[in-house]
Amino acid sequence: MATTLLIIHGLVAVALLGATTHQTLATWIPTRTRPDSFVGRFRTVPSAAFANAIVLLYVASALLGAVVYLYFRVDVRPGLERGGHWPALGFFDIKEHFVSIGLALLPAYWICWQQPRGSELAPTRAALTTILSCIVWWSFLVGHIVNNIRGFGA
Amino acid sequence: MTSSLAFRRFAFVFGPAFAVLYVIALAYDLALFTVYPSLGIVLAGTHRSKDAVDPAMGFLAPAMYWYGWAATAALGALGFALAVALLPGRWSFRLWSGWVWVIPLAAMTACAYLTLPWFRLSP
Repeated sequence: MATTLLIIHGLVAVALLGATTHQTLATWIPTRTRPDSFVGRFRTVPSAAFANAIVLLYVASALLGAVVYLYFRVDVRPGLERGGHWPALGFFDIKEHFVSIGLALLPAYWICWQQPRGSELAPTRAALTTILSCIVWWSFLVGHIVNNIRGFGA
Repeated sequence: MTSSLAFRRFAFVFGPAFAVLYVIALAYDLALFTVYPSLGIVLAGTHRSKDAVDPAMGFLAPAMYWYGWAATAALGALGFALAVALLPGRWSFRLWSGWVWVIPLAAMTACAYLTLPWFRLSP
């Protein structure tokens, strides 16, 4: 059960990582980029359309993570503590704090993406998108590192 | 229009309020409840493993506070954001929208700082 949930959590996280990275880069890449270049085509995706998907994927990933965390605390963390993997546990704690704060930012993030591109909320939208993207990247990498310390099914 | 404005106010207050309250809950260990996953029980408030089992057996009943910290912060932020959202228009005042990301960013830094003791433990 825990392994199945972990794999689903990982797959949702991959989708979220792709969506949020695409949206963040599209937000920051300057408009003067040649439209026929790879970067230009990358930028022209309707990034506002990603907002709903990102909110749904973030909530789904956080909920799955919250369930998997119960198994982690009982079955995995004691082994990491015995092995003295304190930095990994510290990074994991930072991940859980960041994810919580990111979850609370979703309503403001969603509202910002409902506004027209040139609105007064554009800088706030760019900042929130970047923060959420950093949280997702941090969580993804730390989750992988902690999972890989003991190895799959260990 | 009024409802969307109220929701916007709610959303722009909820995020920063949650971030601040989360840091306070983390710093002062103010978990709304404590989860003991191996025992399958949830106790109201913050409890240590030694409160539930003999201290020597603490490793058998690991306590989890993250859910409780998040619940504390969510409940407080919900109350605060609802109050601001329902505030009559004449009592509201305009704030810089950047606070919605500056405050959480500062809270994230504080969370990382509060996690530093993990990195001082020797292997």
